[in-house]
Amino acid sequence: MSLILGIDTSCDDTTAAVVENGTKVLSNIVSNQTEVHKKYGGIVPELASRRHIEMIWPVVDEALKAANIKLEDLSGVAACHGPGLIGSLLVGCSFAKALCYSKGIPLVAVNHLEGHIFSCFLSERGPVGETEFPPRTPSFPFLALIVSGGHTCLYRVDDFGKYRELGRTRDDAAGEAYDKVSKLLGLGYPGGPIIEKIAQDGNPKAIDFPRAYLPESFDFSFSGLKTAVLNFVKEQRAESREQRVNDIAASFQASIIDVLVRKTEWAIKKEGIKRVVLTGGVAANRELRRRMKEMGDEREVEIFTPSASFCTDNAAMIASAGYYHLEAGDTVGLDLNPKAYMPL
Amino acid sequence: MKCYCSPRRYNYQRGEKRSSCEAKPKQTMKYISKGPDETKEIGFRLGRLLRPGDVVGLYGELGSGKTTLVKGIARALGIEDKDIVSASFTIIADYNTTPPFSHIDLYRIEKDSELDDIGFWDQIGSDSISVIEWAEKAEGRLPEKMVKVRLKSLGEEMREITIEGRNEKDWDNL
Repeated sequence: MSLILGIDTSCDDTTAAVVENGTKVLSNIVSNQTEVHKKYGGIVPELASRRHIEMIWPVVDEALKAANIKLEDLSGVAACHGPGLIGSLLVGCSFAKALCYSKGIPLVAVNHLEGHIFSCFLSERGPVGETEFPPRTPSFPFLALIVSGGHTCLYRVDDFGKYRELGRTRDDAAGEAYDKVSKLLGLGYPGGPIIEKIAQDGNPKAIDFPRAYLPESFDFSFSGLKTAVLNFVKEQRAESREQRVNDIAASFQASIIDVLVRKTEWAIKKEGIKRVVLTGGVAANRELRRRMKEMGDEREVEIFTPSASFCTDNAAMIASAGYYHLEAGDTVGLDLNPKAYMPL
Repeated sequence: MKCYCSPRRYNYQRGEKRSSCEAKPKQTMKYISKGPDETKEIGFRLGRLLRPGDVVGLYGELGSGKTTLVKGIARALGIEDKDIVSASFTIIADYNTTPPFSHIDLYRIEKDSELDDIGFWDQIGSDSISVIEWAEKAEGRLPEKMVKVRLKSLGEEMREITIEGRNEKDWDNL
């Protein structure tokens, strides 16, 4: 039995998890979960590596406790070393290095995007889990669409460690477009859940926002859409803007989802692959899941969407990918350095 | 693409010199870009003039073409277009070029103190070239010698790009 502790501090959340044999999640702690921050009071600030420093020990401790294991039981530690916020990444990596050095545990480094791909192999056990065990997992090869606040990319996955990037965003990530549009509409952060909610009461066909299909490639572009929404909002008078906010949200979301679904459909056709993994924070969006499933049913393609807690940033996915690295003997030394920019 | 204003220039070849007591004029260049490709071209030409240690601050609202301009600047350092994407999420993106290049985006920064937390001050200056989007978020704390670029939307794809540089003859070649 192999027990891996995963650590990911690539963005705002401090996360740690223990995963057995790369699939079974024994614990999955995210710092903004109530159990942890109740003890410390207050909410984890948007951006603070200092906060990561304060949170890393309690979060790792909690992960070990919830999994009911001790540090000595670990077969390895998997740390996410990028891409992400450099100051934040440094905290997780340094912590993992110190832990491995002091306890003589092997260290593996995992790319955050690789982690997202591996989220489809995860499953929880016990009554709280949203997914069954063993999980329904895709066989190779499959396509992986990662959509989040920081990334929008499409991969062909042929095996563990064998990834080919088919396309990615040329400017803004899909989740970033949600955040920016939410802000310009005077709604809050994070934009994803807020826009998804009000879009339910809007007409997705009300406004014909542009869709950048970029037919010559599998790349994405959402910056023009953001600008189009901004221009539309500016042209509206204040009172009508308020009335139409639901329509704007629904039409904006329709544009994003149309592009994501259509381009995935093209990739399925071109690569001749019948399995698609949809993951990343934006993959928690129910409308996107519904539309992707609908397309899958039409094309007789299997769509795999990890439960929402594995779609958003988490350390369980890092531990899962770390397990396969460790199996392959792919460990790293204490000279591991995180990087903000790191394509898979 | 057209250069509109060029305040008083000195003809160095003719040996014309500023008197030492005269205040150095801030040289400002104004361009009109008709679309993303022209914006990148302006960025590229600016990029070629940058030297290690230079800091470029970009000012302009959402959708004014800041990241597009950065793609052009980065091309001058040998970085491919597709490798420059919005840095709003990671805030800092580093490139191992010679000299090193940093693409910084302060969009998500709300408080001044957060700049200290993200390692911002370690990033700019020294031997690297840094381009900072939403530079107003660090206003007052950035180097005085910074190159300032203001982008303004003139509707659809037209953008007005104003570059305020240091008063060096380099700018005559832009």
